[in-house]
Amino acid sequence: MSVCRARSLSLFGIDALPVEVEVDVSPGLPGFSIVGLPDAAVQEARERVRVAISNSGYKFPTKKVIVNLAPANLRKEGPAFDLPIALGILAASGALPAGGLEDAGVVGELSLDGGLRGIKGALSMAEGARREGLPRLLVPERDAPEAAAIGGVEVYGMRSLREAVEFLGDSAGISPAEPADEDGRPVEADEDFADVAGQRYAKRALEVAAAGGHNVIMSGPPGSGKTMLARRMPGILPPLTMEERIEVTKIHSASGEGHGALVTRRPFRAPHHTVSTSGLAGGGSNPRPGEVSLAHHGVLFLDELPEFSRTALEALRQPLEDGHVTISRVAATLSYPARVTLLCSMNPCPCGYAGDRRRVCRCTVGQIERYQGRISGPLLDRMDLFVDVPRLTRQELREERQGEESRLIRQRVSGARGIQARRQGSPNSALSGRRLREVCALRGDAETLFSRAVDRMGLSGRGHDRVLRVARTVADLSGEDEIAAEHVAEALNYRRSHLIGR
Amino acid sequence: MEDDDRTKYLFLSFLQARVGSSLVSHLGNLAPEVVLRTSVAELAGRAKISEKASRAFEELQRSFDPVRMQDRLAAKGIVALTPVDEAYPGALRSIPDPPPTLFVDGKVPEAASVAVVGSRKASATGIETARALGLALSERGVCVVSGLALGVDAAAHEGAVEAGGLTVGVLGCGIDVVYPRRNRDLFRSVRRHGALISEYYLGEAPLAWRFPARNRIIAGLAGTVVVVEAPEQSGALITARHALDAGRDVWAVPGPPGVRECRGSNGLLADGAGVLWDIPEFVDAVAQENRVPLAGGISGGAQPLPAGLEDTEAAVLSGVGFEPRAVDAVAKKSGVEMPEVLTALALLELKGFVSRDGVGSYVRRAMP
Repeated sequence: MSVCRARSLSLFGIDALPVEVEVDVSPGLPGFSIVGLPDAAVQEARERVRVAISNSGYKFPTKKVIVNLAPANLRKEGPAFDLPIALGILAASGALPAGGLEDAGVVGELSLDGGLRGIKGALSMAEGARREGLPRLLVPERDAPEAAAIGGVEVYGMRSLREAVEFLGDSAGISPAEPADEDGRPVEADEDFADVAGQRYAKRALEVAAAGGHNVIMSGPPGSGKTMLARRMPGILPPLTMEERIEVTKIHSASGEGHGALVTRRPFRAPHHTVSTSGLAGGGSNPRPGEVSLAHHGVLFLDELPEFSRTALEALRQPLEDGHVTISRVAATLSYPARVTLLCSMNPCPCGYAGDRRRVCRCTVGQIERYQGRISGPLLDRMDLFVDVPRLTRQELREERQGEESRLIRQRVSGARGIQARRQGSPNSALSGRRLREVCALRGDAETLFSRAVDRMGLSGRGHDRVLRVARTVADLSGEDEIAAEHVAEALNYRRSHLIGR
Repeated sequence: MEDDDRTKYLFLSFLQARVGSSLVSHLGNLAPEVVLRTSVAELAGRAKISEKASRAFEELQRSFDPVRMQDRLAAKGIVALTPVDEAYPGALRSIPDPPPTLFVDGKVPEAASVAVVGSRKASATGIETARALGLALSERGVCVVSGLALGVDAAAHEGAVEAGGLTVGVLGCGIDVVYPRRNRDLFRSVRRHGALISEYYLGEAPLAWRFPARNRIIAGLAGTVVVVEAPEQSGALITARHALDAGRDVWAVPGPPGVRECRGSNGLLADGAGVLWDIPEFVDAVAQENRVPLAGGISGGAQPLPAGLEDTEAAVLSGVGFEPRAVDAVAKKSGVEMPEVLTALALLELKGFVSRDGVGSYVRRAMP
C-alpha cells in the first residue's frame, strides 16, 4: 500500500509551524513506530492511537506501520499529533478515502475511547493553517471557538475520531465553528477603583502610570492596600485591541491556560516571590512562556519585591527593555512577547513600619539599607514612579467619600495614550535619549522650576529623564501640548524617597 | 625624652584600641621606659590587668614599631598628636579620659566649636534642624563637630560644608576607614573644610564599642553639645553625658511628646539642658564674639523663586503640620483636590516651606 499524508501543525514558541504526518502501512511483522524527533508524549501516541482506533470501531492494521513526522529536524512535542496519526493510519489502511486529508489541517489529542481532548495553542494553529493556505482545520470541539477567532480559515470542532472520519468522508452535517461571542463576557473588571477608600494619591499615581505605560514601585507598611490597588490597575488601562487580544490569547493558549475563547481583559499576573527564574521569564527544557509573557499587554505585579531572588529579577531586564523574552536552547532559539506594565510593591523596611504613625519601626539602619539594597540598580532604572502608600486609620477610612470609577479614569488614560500614539507612536515610558529631549522640551517657568529642582533635590541623570517622562504624561492627561510648570511639579512627587541619608 | 614620651603615648593608643581605656588611663602616668619595656608580670603587680589585656600587651610589646608607623602615617599626610605635642587640642587635655594619641587628617580649626549630634534615623524635621544649625553656626565662624554618622551627624556636617565653614568629623574607626560607606563624599568635603580625627590607627575596623568611646572626643573637642533628636539609650545621650562629665554645656532641641525618636533629647530638657527653641538665639548665645559672617555663604546657590505664595499653595501649606502627614491627609486637611495638591507640595518643597521624609510624608520646615 502507498504512503498517506496528513497535515498538522506543531507549536513552536507561540507560533505554529507546519508538520506533515506521513504514514506507511506495509506488509511484514506487525509493528508501530514513530520517527521524526518525537518527544515522550508523541511516542506515547502509539498506545493511544492503537486503542482509540479499535474503540472507535475500526481495525488497527496488523501490518508494519511507520509514521514519520516531517520536517525531521524540528523537535515535536505534545499529544496534538494523535488525531493526524490516527487519520493517516486509517487512510493508509483504506478506512478513509485518502483524498479527504489533502486540504485539511488536523490537530487533536485522543482519549482511549476515541474521543478528542483539548490542545494547547489552538489559536496559533489556526493562524499557522491560514498562513499555509489550508482552507480547513480540524480541532477538538473545545478549542474551536478560540481557533475560529483568527478568521480566514474554516475551523471545524470534532468530538471524536469517528466524527472526524465521517466528516472527512463526506463533509456533511457539520458547519464551521463561529468565533466565541465576545460580548458574552463583560470587559469591565469586577474590581473597581471606586471600591478603594482613600489613597487618592496612590490612585492618581497609578492613573499617570497607566496613561504613560510607566512602571511603578509602591512602598508602604503591611495592610496599607498596595495589593488592592494593584489588582485594579488593569481596569484603568485602555481596552485590548483585536490584534492585542489575539497575541495575548496565543500566549495563554500556548501555555495551556486558554479557556476556549479570546482573552478580552488585560492580564494581571501576580507570581509569588518564590517564583523561579524560568517561571518568571519563561524557559524550561520544553520552553513555556513565563509570567512576564503571560502578563503581555497587561500588568505584572511583583508583591514584596525585595523578597524575589536576584537572578529572577535580573531576567526581567530584557523583557522590560525589548518587550520580548528570548530563550535559547541547543535545539532552537525562540522568543515570547512580553510587553508589560511592571507594578511592584515593597515595605519601607524589613519590619514594614518605618515612618508609620502608630507602630514603631525596630529595624536598624543597616537592616534597612540591606533591605532596600536588594533591588538591583538596573531594575530600579526601569521604574518611573515611586509611590508611598501610607496606612489609613479606621477614622480616615470611614470619613472617605466614594472614589472615582475605573471607567472614568480609563477614559482619561485612553485619551492620553491616543495623544502619545499620534505624536511618537509609543507610550511615554519608551522615550529616551534625543527623542525624549525633543518631545519633553521645557520652556519658561517649567524650565526654571525644573533646574531649581535638579539643584535642590539632587536629581541624578536618570532621575532627570524620569521626571521629564512622567511630566510629559501628566501634560498628556490634561490634554496639553506643552509641559507646564505644574506638570513638572506633580512629576516631582513621584521620585524616590530615601529613608536614610539623602 | 620627648620622643620617648611620644612613643609611649603611641603605644598606649594601640593598647587602648584593643583593650579599652581603663587600663590605659592607669598606665598614662608611668614613665615611658616602664610602659615600653617592663614585662607584663611586673606591671600586673602595680595595676590590675585582665588576662586578655595582658596577652594583648605582650603581643603589642613584640610587634610595636613606631618608626614604621610614623612613616606610613606621613605617607598619607596624617599627623599623630600626643599630649606632649603642642598641637594637641587644649580642650581635650581637660577631659577625664583624653585619648593617648589623636590621628588627624586635615587641620584642626582653632575656632570655638559646637558639637551637633543625634539619631541616625532622625525625622525630616530633625535632619532639617541639624542642617540649619550647621549652616547658622558656620556663618558665625563656629566649627561644627560631629561623628560623620548617617542622619543628624551627616546633616550637621553638610550644613557646615554648604556654608563654606569649618567642621570636624570624629571617627569611631581607623583614621583612613570610611564608615558608613554612604558618606564617602561627605568624608572628603569634611576633610577639605576642617579635619577628620580619630584615636584609631590606619585600618582599624569600625567595632561597635568604639563609637560610644569616640563620643567622649566629640564632647571634649566642643565647648557646647547640641542633641537634636535622640531616642533613649542612644549614642547621642552618651555624648551628652560625656559633655557633662567634661563640664561642657548641653543643649537639646525640643521634640513632640511621646515620639520615640525624641524621648532621649526631651529627657535631657527635663533634666535641665538648654532649650534650643530658636536657632538664631542659640547661635547668639554660643558665638557672642563671632559677629562677622563668613564669605561664600549660602548666597551662592540657585536664585530663589518668588517668595509670595499663590492661593492654592497657601491653602495646601495650611494642611501641612509639624508632624509628618501623608499626601492624602494634606489633601483632606487643606480641601484641595489631588493633582493640584501634588503640584503645590512640590512647589512648596522647592520654596523651602515643607520637606518630604523617607516615607513620602510632608512636614513643615522650621525656617523657610
